This record gives sequence, C-alpha cells and structure tokens, in this order.
Amino acid sequence: MIATSCDFTSRATSIQLNHIKLVRADEEFLSQLVEAIIPQSDSPGAKELNLHLFVMKMVDDCASPADQKLFLDGLKKAESVQGQSIEKLQAYLLSLSEKQDVFFKILKGRTIQGYRNSEYIMKNKLVYELVPGRYNGSVKIEA
Amino acid sequence: MMINLNIDSEKNRTYDAIVIGSGISGGWAAKELCEKGLKTLVLERGRDVQHVKDYPTTNLYPWEFEHRNELPFSVQHENPIVNRCYAFHEDSEHFFVKDKEHPYVQQKPFDWIRGYQVGGKSLLWARQTQRWSDFDFQGPARDGFAVDWPIRYDDIKQWYDHVERFAGIAGDKDGLAELPDGEFLPGYPLNIVEKYFKEKIEKQYPGRKVISARCAHLSKPNKIHFDQGRVQCQNRKLCQRGCPFGGYFSSNSSTLPWAEKTGNLTLRPHSVVHSILYDEKKGKAIGVRVIDKESKNEIDFYAKIIFLNAAAINSNLVLLNSISTRFPTGLGNDSGSLGKYVAFHNYSARISAEFGEYLDYTTDGKNPAGGGYIPRFRNLLKQETDFLRGYAAGFSAYRISHSDQSGIGSDLKNNILNPQLGNWGVGSHMMGETIPKETNFVELDPKLTDEWGIPLLRISVDYDENDVKMKKDYLDTMEEMFTSAGFTNIRRNESSQAPGLDIHEMGGVRMGKDPKTSMLNKWNQIHTCSNVFVTDGASMTSTGTQNPSLTYMAFTARAVDYAITEMKKGNL
Repeated sequence: MIATSCDFTSRATSIQLNHIKLVRADEEFLSQLVEAIIPQSDSPGAKELNLHLFVMKMVDDCASPADQKLFLDGLKKAESVQGQSIEKLQAYLLSLSEKQDVFFKILKGRTIQGYRNSEYIMKNKLVYELVPGRYNGSVKIEA
Repeated sequence: MMINLNIDSEKNRTYDAIVIGSGISGGWAAKELCEKGLKTLVLERGRDVQHVKDYPTTNLYPWEFEHRNELPFSVQHENPIVNRCYAFHEDSEHFFVKDKEHPYVQQKPFDWIRGYQVGGKSLLWARQTQRWSDFDFQGPARDGFAVDWPIRYDDIKQWYDHVERFAGIAGDKDGLAELPDGEFLPGYPLNIVEKYFKEKIEKQYPGRKVISARCAHLSKPNKIHFDQGRVQCQNRKLCQRGCPFGGYFSSNSSTLPWAEKTGNLTLRPHSVVHSILYDEKKGKAIGVRVIDKESKNEIDFYAKIIFLNAAAINSNLVLLNSISTRFPTGLGNDSGSLGKYVAFHNYSARISAEFGEYLDYTTDGKNPAGGGYIPRFRNLLKQETDFLRGYAAGFSAYRISHSDQSGIGSDLKNNILNPQLGNWGVGSHMMGETIPKETNFVELDPKLTDEWGIPLLRISVDYDENDVKMKKDYLDTMEEMFTSAGFTNIRRNESSQAPGLDIHEMGGVRMGKDPKTSMLNKWNQIHTCSNVFVTDGASMTSTGTQNPSLTYMAFTARAVDYAITEMKKGNL
C-alpha cells in the first residue's frame, strides 16, 4: 500500500483536471518538457515557475476536444525521451514541426504565454503596471 | 380587511416616476428625477452591481486569472454570439448576458450584445463621447430618408453641456462645425505619429481632420466629480472590469449613487419588465408590470410618469408587448412604425499598416481615449458620392514591440526577456452611418416565449447596398491617406461581422414631427400616451456617425426637465 502511493503512474496530478486524464508521471514529464523550452539560467526556468501546471490547465479548460486528443497523443509519443537529459528533450522537440504538430504548438505556445504572464516575470523582468497613472505620447528614446 | 390590505399594498407600490432600466440613459433619468424631488423606482432586470464592491476582477494581475484572461473552450463554444464581442473575456464575462439567458430569433444574423445588471452596458461601453451637430440632425431631411428629426442642435446643446459637466468628458476644443466642442476636461494628447498623421492629412486634404478622441474619462476631475466619489483616471485601460477610481463614467459610479443620496431612489433589481400598463379611461399609462426574475411572480408598480430606458431593442420589446384595446399592436403604435426603422453603425472594415519613421520615439503609459478620431468628412457639406451619408473613423498609432520566438531553450528565453522595438503600427476602423428602413425591424414572435412568459423578439436587420459602397469608399480613402502619409505594409481588413456587434443598435421608437409616421415627439414623449418617455437608443430617428451614448444622456436629461415642467402645469 505504501509503495503504490509513491507510484507516479497512478498518482493523481497536483491540480484537478476536469476534461483530460493525466497522472502524476505525466505532470513530471511535462515539467521536464517545459523546462527544455525555457530552461533555468540566472533566472528561474519553466519548471520552477510551474508552467507545466499552466499548460495542463489550459489544455484541460481551453483547448477543443480535438486538440486535447492530439495533445495527449503527442505526449504519449514523446514518452521515449522521458527522463532523459535536457539536450535530448530539446532535440526531440526540435524534430517536431512547430506548424503541424499540435502537441508541440500547444506545449510551446502555452509555455511562452505562461512565462510572459507569470508573477515572476511581470514583477522582475518585463514589469507590468496595474495602475500606470500616466500617458506620454512622445518619449524620446535615449540611445 | 382584504380590500384595505390591497389598497395599502398598492400604495406601497406607487411612486412618482418609474424608470425602466439602469444603464447609461436609465441612470440619467434616475438622477434627474430624484434630484428634482420625485420618488423614483428604477427597475432593473439583472442583479445589483454596486460600485467597487461588485467589481470582482478589478484589481487582479494577469497571473491571477486562472486562464490568463482567456475563456474556457466550453464557455466560448456555448456562447457563439457574445463571444464575438471584443470585450468578452475572463475579466468581464460576468457583466455580459450569455446566449442562453435570454434567447431571440435571428431572422437575419444579428449579434445582440447585452448587459443585464445594475448599470447595464455603462460598465462595458467604449466611452467615446462626441456630440452630434446639425449635419446629423438635418441628415434625413437633406438626403431624403427616414423622417425629419423634430429637433436641431440648438435644442439639445445646453443638455450636452449639462451631462458633460457631470459625467466628465476629456477632449480638446477643436472648433469643428461637424463635431461641436463641449464642456471638456483636458483632452488626452495624440502621440507623435498620430500628430504627424494629423498634420499631414489636414494639409493635404482640406476638410479632413484628425483630433484627439473625446471620451468619458476624468483626465482632471472637478469638484462635481470628487463629490460623486470619483477621482482621476489612472490610465489602466481595464475599464470593462469596472473602475475602482470611478475614472470613467458609468451609472454605477456616478448617476445611481447620486440619485440614491437624494433619498428618493428605490432600486429594484431582478425585475423583468413585462409591459407598461395603459388605462383606457384615463387615456394614459398608469404603471409597469414586472415579472420577478427569481420567483416569476407578477407584480404591478404604479407611477405618474414612466421613463423607458431598457436599451434600444428591449425598449422596443416592452412597447410591443404593452397591448391594450386602444393600442392592439403596442403602446403608442398608431403610426405602425413601432419596431421598424432600426439602424446601427457599420463597423465592418478596418485598415492597418506600419510606419518606419520617428523610431527614436515611443509612448509611455496608456491613453484612455484610445488615440485619434476622424470626424465624418464624406458627403458632409453636399452629396458627392453614389452612396448616402458617410463615416467617422478611429485612428491610432503604437510602437510595435516584438521578440523572436523561434526555437527553444536559452536563446528563446533570452529573446523573450529582451523585446525589441519595431516600426510603429497604425490602425483605423470605420464607424459608418446606416440608413433606417422599414425593412429593418424587430417584432414579437407569435409563439415562442422566454422563461418569464414574455414573447421572444425576432430581429430582422441587415446591411444594404449603401453600406457596401460606403465600406469600399472607407477602405479606398483610408488606403490613399495611409499611402500619402508614407505608411507601408497596408492591410485592408473587411470583416463579415453581423449587425449588432457594433453595439450601436438604434431606432424602432423613433422621434418625429408627425404622429402618423413616428412614435415620439420632440420631447421623447409618446405622441399618443403623454406620460411615457423613451430616451434610449430606441428613440433615434437616424444614427449619425458618433458613438451614441452621450446623445442618449442629453436627450434623457432634457426629457426629464420637460416632464417635470409639464407635471407642474398639471398636463401629465
């Protein structure tokens, strides 16, 4: 009993999903994939920012049933590189067509979206102002 | 005993005035009536929305939205109509009517966008506020369509002054006969490229102007705005969420709390109006029949005067459903014009381009006005094309910021974190006048009813040949102006959007001089039922090219003033 509770292949995901079926092992794999797209450097990468959870949420709630199926199919196909080095994961993703592979298109698009709209980025890097309080229509850019 | 109870109950349901609807014009009716001492009941079919308290998303950061402001697939799929509205997102969806909530029959495609709550669409509007001029009020008479407006600019000028001072309108004094100046707060500046385009166009095309768009934002509030509890607009441009500063005008932030302070206001949400009650003996309206939205119980309320401000299409519905022996086809409909001559604004074309100069400049912060406004110049002084009337246009410029998003890994990350400034992007959209016609109409469905037992509306409104020609002229003309300004990569964009999505539907209960061809006189008063006034978009004889809300506000304040004068004379 104790062993099965640690078994990632049957454990539930850390966020509740309503439309698609994923297990904790898929979540773990997705965290590797989003990290391959936006890796950690001197600033946090996609895994630390929980963007795999964001990708899961968006596929679950905002993708059409057809796209959900294609995403899950693509995730299944990618399992051959699960747990491998970031370089191997990146090589696999780059072997997919960004235009035609719906799995890759959704994975990358949602990762970038989640990154740009993350609290970390919006507070520290590309700062978002909720209350600008000003408009200047002619600002000279200092060279 | 029973009889006494009924009398008491009826007394409790009797007011001096009833206002149907709490949106932008209903809010004004409430304010003016309450200020002048009338005990006023405002009926709103939706729920209550109190200023600030009921704006649940107003202070959320982008990352605090579960779907980063995108709506789930199921919501979009189940709401094809409202989902086409530009403002329908995760941050504002609770202020929009979902498709199934109040169905209607589309005899022709019509996107009916609605806000059923206290404040109505005044929470959601685009806040553009230009006055009409006599070029608009004289339009039908000069060009031979619809019927002549029973008023001219001089009749309404002081009421524009009145509502502008209170609502707070930012704008420049531009001195244009076709777009009269008003009681403005300081205008928002055009940016450097908008200014360039203005100078270029005004020099090259005499008669064409590019001005700062006038809008209902407190650029520099006056005492009257602070007295309402509103402060300076903070340039958030998140207005569709409701504004915690009261930076833009809405019923919720302005007219309704003002009315409440008088002690004369009773606001009743969840009140779906069934009809206006007409007394055959008295020869006038005596009250309003309401279906309680929750209990579905029928309740009658009584008043000496009634203001109908349910928003254009719903005001038509209320009158069409107000049947009596005297008015078998709808209250006041001796002319047979009720529900007909519905018109809208043609928003079906836009154009965009790039500009590769002024690259050492950018903008900072956000412009609530949205940029520039090009008043109608086409067919203004005389008929000069093979189509009637013309169009106004928006014009705005913004500095494009982009990052290379090819590939994956650390290069991608680095590119995202270091966006580069590109060319300026410029864009324009048309706002075309459409011609009210008998064949564009709304009517009651003979069989289908909604969950409150009220007939469904059938909407039969479409574009015509005039709209097609005007659209082509807009695109050709704007392309030429863009080309001569040196803009590049010009893209013409024709949308197939249905009427209604402009959210400027008007008419059906039009004003006119002749009771044989119109519903309302020059005071927005039903010709043959003198204690009912219709002062929202339904009353519009023609559409002009201006965003219409400011004109509804002015008509409303003017009609209240008249109604009270008439009441004092004992005429109502």
